[in-house]
Amino acid sequence: MNWRPRHSLALLTLALGTVAAGLVRGEVHQEPDAFVAEVFGSRPAPKVLWLTKDIQTQAAAILGHPPAQLRQRYWSDSHRNVWILEEIGKEELITAGFVVVDGRIDHVRVLVYRESRGQEVRYPSFLKQFKEAKLAPGERLDREIDGIAGATLSVAAMERMARLALFFDRMSRK
Amino acid sequence: MKKSNLALALAAAFAAAPALGQATVDQKLQILQQEIDDLKAQARRPAGPGQQASPYSLDYSSMLDRSSGLANGGTNVVGYGEVAYGKFRQSGNATADLQRFVFGFNHRFDERLTFHSEIEIEHAVVSSADNGEAAIEQAWLNYKVSDAANVKGGLFLIPVGILNEMHEPPTYFGVMRNQVETRIIPTTWRELGAGVHGVVGEGLSYDVGITTNFDSGKLDERTTGIRSAHQEGQEANARNLAVYGALNYRRPGLLMGGGVFTGNTGQNGASNPALQGVSARLTLWDVHAQYRIARLDLQALYAAGTLGDADKVTAAILAAAPTPADAFAAPKTLKGGYVQAAYHVYKQGNFDVAPFVRYERIDIKQQEDPANGLLQDPNNIERIKTFGVNFWVHPQVVLKADIQRYATDKSQDRFSLGLGFMF
Repeated sequence: MNWRPRHSLALLTLALGTVAAGLVRGEVHQEPDAFVAEVFGSRPAPKVLWLTKDIQTQAAAILGHPPAQLRQRYWSDSHRNVWILEEIGKEELITAGFVVVDGRIDHVRVLVYRESRGQEVRYPSFLKQFKEAKLAPGERLDREIDGIAGATLSVAAMERMARLALFFDRMSRK
Repeated sequence: MKKSNLALALAAAFAAAPALGQATVDQKLQILQQEIDDLKAQARRPAGPGQQASPYSLDYSSMLDRSSGLANGGTNVVGYGEVAYGKFRQSGNATADLQRFVFGFNHRFDERLTFHSEIEIEHAVVSSADNGEAAIEQAWLNYKVSDAANVKGGLFLIPVGILNEMHEPPTYFGVMRNQVETRIIPTTWRELGAGVHGVVGEGLSYDVGITTNFDSGKLDERTTGIRSAHQEGQEANARNLAVYGALNYRRPGLLMGGGVFTGNTGQNGASNPALQGVSARLTLWDVHAQYRIARLDLQALYAAGTLGDADKVTAAILAAAPTPADAFAAPKTLKGGYVQAAYHVYKQGNFDVAPFVRYERIDIKQQEDPANGLLQDPNNIERIKTFGVNFWVHPQVVLKADIQRYATDKSQDRFSLGLGFMF
């Protein structure tokens, strides 16, 4: 194929069309406030889990790095806790909301996904694997999560956040 | 961080104090002191662009250090590399090599616009007297309109095969990259161009675009198919361009897809005058699948291609060769495939041990010119069996060992050890 002006025009049209078609959506799939409100029907006042040295140590073991926060906010009613966590996938932060009931994950949602690849982690086919997951000895999940080709690090980040949410949840109930 | 912010942090902390908490008052004071110390340290640092907070972090996690994320205006570093030891069965020779070390800078201009790059150094030393090579493997800009629509431009990887876009050592089995995605699909294959990509529906991704192409006039290796005609963004002859397209479907544990790349490679004789006016159209395509169920890990790929006007390309190679012995027959058709199976026998914490087997076939048919002694190279018809094990000591760090047996070129039979990492 020889390069001709019409090719430039076609490419420009394609790019502009893509931009125009996609402008309605960004990387924020649901505002965290909206997620909390959806779970509880309203937005209850946040509670705080204080990350003592012991909790920081165990959180670091789960994450593979020290937790960035010293106090973790969460939302709770009589039996559900909502944790909104952030962790880096390959190079960008993933923001995810975890609803925990009786020490098990009720459901998970990816609220903000910033990476340019690996978006498949935000789809129900991936997230439903976390339903009913609980912590096993060693603060591991009680199940294996099937990965997604090309999204290895994003999948690993989602697993770490799920473990951390369950661990924080346990600590919050002590 | 100014005093007002410190006061806000304290106020927020005390406001939250009545809420459920397991820490004692002393522990809370220690935590607050630590936060204050961190805030003071931040206040003393000049405000770096990479330390801009996520809009959510302070609200939900009271995170202090956001420099690890790629916030707007931020830049981070990524990398991967591999070390290999190979002992050859026939000769008894052995080599140890830092095969590659790759590092890259990624930069986020704003919420939608990012830059991605990889700079590769192969074989540890780059000089005129050594085999090392330094190259830009990727340097491209991405404008993310949505998950479904990204526009990219620059030097980027062509989405054909599995390995070409996903080639960090912890992501594949075996010390050496498989030969099908080396000799049929010339991994790591990149071109200059522009494209549109994204994920539509649930798990269906597409990638289409226009790029530079190979230059058949640059062919100088006889057993690597079209690979030696790559231009890699280095003053690429761009009279003839190519178009590509790829579709992949991903579900947890499953990948199915394929890609195609096509365009003329004659480049109007820019690097070999004998190819003036010769189209030499190249078409390369592949289909591939990965399936992971329980601890079983299966992968298969088939790739094929054709080079048009192969007789004219063979003639051009002969015309440009310093001596007839340096000439060879151009590839006319390329076919190859592999099947691979692995089983994760041990998974505990970060440790993951998975023995694997792989069987590869490569068939590169050349456009012979018997009158000038340019015949099919027997090494272009190859069968390779690989038996090995990957041992991940961390999801991003892997130790590897394998044995390879070649059916044709037995000088390549070897035992290999490897160490790979990515970050």
